[in-house]
This record gives sequence, structure tokens and C-alpha cells, in this order.
Amino acid sequence: MTLETFFFYLMAAFILFSAYFVVTARNLFRCAIGLAAVLIGIAGVYLLMDAQFLSAVQVAVYVGGVVVLVVFAVLMVSDVTQKEYLRSPFSRSVAAAIIAELLLMVVAGAALMQGFGASRPTPASAPVREIGHALLETGPGGFALPFEVISLVLVAALIGACTVAGGPEDRAREEGQ
Amino acid sequence: MNPGLEHYLVLSALIFSFGVFGLLTRRNLVAMLLCVELVLNSAALNFVAFHRFLFKGDPGGVVFPILIIAVAAAEAAVALAVIISLFRHRKNLDARAADTLSG
Repeated sequence: MTLETFFFYLMAAFILFSAYFVVTARNLFRCAIGLAAVLIGIAGVYLLMDAQFLSAVQVAVYVGGVVVLVVFAVLMVSDVTQKEYLRSPFSRSVAAAIIAELLLMVVAGAALMQGFGASRPTPASAPVREIGHALLETGPGGFALPFEVISLVLVAALIGACTVAGGPEDRAREEGQ
Repeated sequence: MNPGLEHYLVLSALIFSFGVFGLLTRRNLVAMLLCVELVLNSAALNFVAFHRFLFKGDPGGVVFPILIIAVAAAEAAVALAVIISLFRHRKNLDARAADTLSG
């Protein structure tokens, strides 16, 4: 067993354990910490696949941004010491487990039956310089337009989020002026 | 034997099914949002696996996950704003209680 194989299975076990924790933990704060663990594990898998830039983006934006946002929201909307009292009935959980299992069999079965094994000998990954060029290039194979669109989407979503989350006191202040 | 493309695809499928299971069982809105993040991440993992093993390092396979991460950030911001607004009005986070769009 090579070092890469060992680290892959270590990461996979860590990710799946944390994902189980995200799905089942009653305490919302612990769910958020479990999600952070999953995201860090996936960043580790990206490192195994030589995608260092993406790994850094994952940790910086996802773990540093999204999870912190979720933690703040959890602290605002619920008492974290109190256990989540909203639970689905057991029969619903069983049905959901069967559906998830069928989905897993379909997706993983399709991936295994495709016979991608021939592609194994030539793994390669793009260096950071190439990713930067691809992001800002306008010609064929360039991603300048999606890059601009995604920044517009992000700004619009953040302004919309501020508007939606504004409380009654914000509205009163706006109307007073 | 080093892990090949199938290993990463199966790992991604497992994360995806965990996310779907959580979406179907959880009734708390924040917990459902976290499960959506799991599903998005499994998709991004697939992109990177194909990028590395099948497309010989074509940069599109890394650029697309970056876009996915940006969309996930926007989605989390909007969803949390809606959840906070809902909590102000309803004082609970049950997905089944949130059956109206009127403020």
C-alpha cells in the first residue's frame, strides 16, 4: 500500500464520519463543525489530486467564509445548548435511507460500470498559472464571461441578503429619513 | 495500487447520498442548508476527479469548482438571511411551518 492510497482511505473515512455527523447530530452547532471537518477533508482530497489552488480556495472561502457565516447564523437563531427537538418520524428516516441507498447504487454503479480504468496511467493537473490564464481569457477555452457573471451574482446575492435580513428597526430608520 | 478515478467517484457518490439522506430527514432549515452544501461539494469533487484522470489537466475542471464554491457562498448568504428573517417572525426553524411567502 502506497502513501497515496493510505492517505486517500484516511481522508475518505474522515469525510464520511464527519458527513454522518452533519446528517445526524441534533445540536446545530455540532452540525456546522462537522461540515467544517467534511470541507477540510475534501480540501485534503484535492491536495491528493494535485489541485493545490482549489484546495486553498476551499479552505479560505468555504471553511473560512461559509462555515463561519453558518455558525453566526446558528448562534443568532437558536439556543445551541438546547437539543434540536424537530425530528422526523422513524418510518420517514427508513424511507429516506432506502432512497439515498438507491441513489448511491445508481450513481456509484454508473461510475463503476463505465470502465474508466483505462484512464488511470495518465493523471495530470493544471498548474496555478494555467488556471489564472483560463479564468481571465476571453477566447475559446477561456472563462472570462462566467467569471464576470459569478461576481455579479455574488454582489446581487449579498445585497439581497442584507435587504432580506434587515430587521424592523432598519426599516423604521429608512422610513424616517 | 494508487486510488484511481473510480475511487474518487464512489467517495463523491457516498457524500452525495449522505446529503440527500439529510435533506429528506432533517426538518431544521439550517441543517437542510448544511446538507445542500454536502451535495454541492460532492459535485465539485467529481469535476476535479474527471479533470485529473480523464481530461489530462484541462483547467476547466478546476475553474468550475471555483464557480461552484462562489455560488454556494451566495446561496448560503441568501438562505441564512431568509432563515433569520423567518426566525424573527415565527420563532422556530421547522421547514414544515415555513409554508407561506407572505412576510
